[in-house]
Amino acid sequence: MIANTLFGYIVIAMVLFSIGLLGVISRKNIFVIYMSIELMLNAVNLLFVALGTYHNDMGGHVMAMLVIAIAAAEAGVFLSLIIVLYRRKKSLDSDMFRTLSQKEAV
Amino acid sequence: MMDILFLLLGSFAILGAVGMVSFHQPVHSALSLILTIIALAGLFALLSASFLFMVQIIIYAGAILTLFIFIIMFLNVKEANLPKEPTKNITLFLGSLALLPFNFLILRAFYQMPLHVKVLEQDFGKIKPLGMELFTQWLLPFELISILLLVALIGAVVLGRKDEV
Repeated sequence: MIANTLFGYIVIAMVLFSIGLLGVISRKNIFVIYMSIELMLNAVNLLFVALGTYHNDMGGHVMAMLVIAIAAAEAGVFLSLIIVLYRRKKSLDSDMFRTLSQKEAV
Repeated sequence: MMDILFLLLGSFAILGAVGMVSFHQPVHSALSLILTIIALAGLFALLSASFLFMVQIIIYAGAILTLFIFIIMFLNVKEANLPKEPTKNITLFLGSLALLPFNFLILRAFYQMPLHVKVLEQDFGKIKPLGMELFTQWLLPFELISILLLVALIGAVVLGRKDEV
């Protein structure tokens, strides 16, 4: 009966969100950081759909669809940004991109 | 049957996510993320969201992540240009230890959620009711999303231009 409980879906969404947060905090490769953000969006999506089904309301499903559209827009802008950054610095290290930091303008 | 499917899909999703954060090469991470996305699509199907199941596979796995792998291969990053992360495994381990108490709190808060006993309507989660909901109650967010997509399109084109400023 575990597939019919909300609790299982909450556990999976929570674990995925935590892993995504961990990836954003601890990795330096900018591709992996982006993918962790996508993972967090997906975890929230799963929670939306689970709660929508639980309350017998389509609003959660519509919300999940809007989140997918936002993720698509984000993907386009982020990938073109990565291309520009890689052309300038020849690196994917997120520590290299600190032109805007106050300490040392590169 | 449903339980076995649920456990299988959930463990695949978590496995793919763990692989995604721990692989060194970006291509391997992207392929693990595709595993997670497809497992999540299966979970949507278990939640009787049949339209979102299709959207997840077609848009996410088919469009977004394919674009992503295309960009990774387009940049053709050499091994020397990848960031060196000598302390990666230690940071991941310590970070997961630090996140454990928060997860425990969430589990305690949701531990007593009841089973869902309501009988769903026949066409819950199919295209037609979802479209009815989207174009009546959610019309304004829908239009705003379309403007957002247009702005993102223009932004991607402007950022990706060849000239150097």
